[in-house]
Amino acid sequence: MSNLMTQDLYLSAFTARQAFLPGQDQAWLKDLRLKALEHFKQAGFPTDKLESWKYTNLANNLLKMSLSFELPKVTPSAVTAQLKKRGFEVEKAHVMVFVNGAYSAELSSLKTLPKGVVIQNLASALAHETVKTYLGQVASAQKKAFTALNMAYFTDGLFLNLAAGQLLEWPIHVVYLSANASQTTQSHLRNLIVLGNDSRAQVIEHYWGENVSAYLTNAVTEVVLSQGSVLDHTKIGQEDLKGFHVGSIEAKQNEASQFISRTFSVGGALTRNEIDTTLAQKKAESVMDGLYLSKGQQHVDTRTFIDHLSPNCNSHETFKGVLDGESTAIFDGFILVRENAQKTDARQSNKNLQLSNTAKVYSKPQLQIYADDVKCSHGSATGQMDEEALFYFQSRGISRADAKKALVYAFAGEMVERVPSEYLKPALTKFVQDWMGGAS
Amino acid sequence: MLVIKGLKAKVEDKQILNGIDLEIRSGEVHAIMGPNGSGKSTLAHVLSGRPGYEITGGEVTLDGKDLLSLSPEDRARAGVFLAFQYPVEIPGVNNTYFLKAALNAVRKSKGEEELDAMDFLELVKAKLKPLKMDEAMLQRAVNEGFSGGEKKKNEILQMAVLEPKLGILDETDSGLDIDALKVVADGVNALRSKNRSFLVVTHYQRLLDYIVPDQVHVLAKGKIIKTGGKELALELEEKGYGWLTGEKEEAKR
Repeated sequence: MSNLMTQDLYLSAFTARQAFLPGQDQAWLKDLRLKALEHFKQAGFPTDKLESWKYTNLANNLLKMSLSFELPKVTPSAVTAQLKKRGFEVEKAHVMVFVNGAYSAELSSLKTLPKGVVIQNLASALAHETVKTYLGQVASAQKKAFTALNMAYFTDGLFLNLAAGQLLEWPIHVVYLSANASQTTQSHLRNLIVLGNDSRAQVIEHYWGENVSAYLTNAVTEVVLSQGSVLDHTKIGQEDLKGFHVGSIEAKQNEASQFISRTFSVGGALTRNEIDTTLAQKKAESVMDGLYLSKGQQHVDTRTFIDHLSPNCNSHETFKGVLDGESTAIFDGFILVRENAQKTDARQSNKNLQLSNTAKVYSKPQLQIYADDVKCSHGSATGQMDEEALFYFQSRGISRADAKKALVYAFAGEMVERVPSEYLKPALTKFVQDWMGGAS
Repeated sequence: MLVIKGLKAKVEDKQILNGIDLEIRSGEVHAIMGPNGSGKSTLAHVLSGRPGYEITGGEVTLDGKDLLSLSPEDRARAGVFLAFQYPVEIPGVNNTYFLKAALNAVRKSKGEEELDAMDFLELVKAKLKPLKMDEAMLQRAVNEGFSGGEKKKNEILQMAVLEPKLGILDETDSGLDIDALKVVADGVNALRSKNRSFLVVTHYQRLLDYIVPDQVHVLAKGKIIKTGGKELALELEEKGYGWLTGEKEEAKR
């Protein structure tokens, strides 16, 4: 049987794969998976005929590949050492590690948790009442083909549940490692984060690949924020250049909740990051920050959707990109302010710095407003390195290469400077600096 | 120190410099004056290696070393400093970082040890005082939101830190009120020494009341048409450039 990524393959392979997926004893989940597969059957893989996939055509790359369903058992290099090398003080975090879509208890290190805090791998938490209640409710299989595929085929991921009033002290650092050696693979990862009233957590989703052949990571994160809760969420994409990443984060925010979402993306042959939030109740706040850095033939596609459903909500969105080589970046940001969402304060900005003439940027900020008493703004700018500024550096004895680095850091570093977390800041600084080290 | 022979340069298809000959000896201050469009700023830019100019003839040496073949950063390391007419604003780059990177790049090229943060801060603080500059500006982004006077003082501060052999002042007096002009001129005068020369490019004589030149050259249509002592500047102030170029100059401002 050919393993080529076709819709038929995923429909036909399911019967055989089902037995290997977690939750065999959960009838509700089996039902969800089958329904999701049905949705995928209806939708098929997205094509560039779809407005939201206009500039990301999978037909010539991902869908031409043969990816195994097997999850190779690989012992990766010491993950803790890797994290330290990347600038994380791992002693100050709960670390969870998934390798090729499977949880690795031995590579993970969860600190002692107070009552009312659940940090678990999802596959082992499927009998949990909260999982039953929320899984698939925020990130519906009906809307997106990859989300449907994810629901049908997911193997594992993070489950975080905080009871009311719980303030989690350490961040949860979740590593999703692809290390498949010679076998091409796919991982369908599913995360579920449910925060009770006035609780607070910091979560880092960190994707990387090492010693790999081609692979696909299809990750879906669902976030439910109860009244007054705060989630500080950072997604770090350091996939291998042979990797394809399609990820979707979807949040539902209740009254006065705060969702801080950051996306730092540097890796992958092709990366698609979708971030959606619904400001479902009044006084909810959303901050969406992002930085994508690309070079060579990389393709990085960011699509965000902020749904202002209720009055007195804020959303502040800032995405920046630096593009070198022949890479392509897409930013498609949509803010919808519905009729009932009076006193909305919504701001969106996308700025791109092109380091080469062959890099391409498609920036598409969109704002639709149906309420009359709102403050909304959006803007987009794409420019090249300022030659006048470069000459100013050079005229003071600083080499052109160093001047470029300083100017790129001045541009991109803003997104790092805005991060309050002491745990993240050194690593993200390094993230940007390491990228510049390899840029032309 | 600086020897310019038959220097010709053009921008796109327009010939701007038509054969400049000039020699500045160690410790001397030379002023270049001339009407708008005479090529004075072009001369300053060409010496510092600004891109966009094509050298079509002539040579320039600094202490015998060919300047024109060097990159802008190598000219700076060799001791050329251009004080910009319009200093560039660089958001996101801290002034201290910029100054320190510049000084250490220059030191490194001379085989000197790079300064650490503490030593550097001590050095730069001492240079701030004569320019009546506040320490707080070290923490600001380079020139961002600086007033005209602050920007020009910042240029002189950079020069004081880098200690070049040749300081080129490109219309440093433009946009300055009289108080700022005095501070900037004092800053320059404090840097005068027998091992350092200056080329002062200016449209007006006013600056030369404060930075008194050894020689004044008048540039017109890309050539030096007259050279004299400091009194030549006064004469120009009185008679206008038309006196030398034979053209009617716009009303004196």
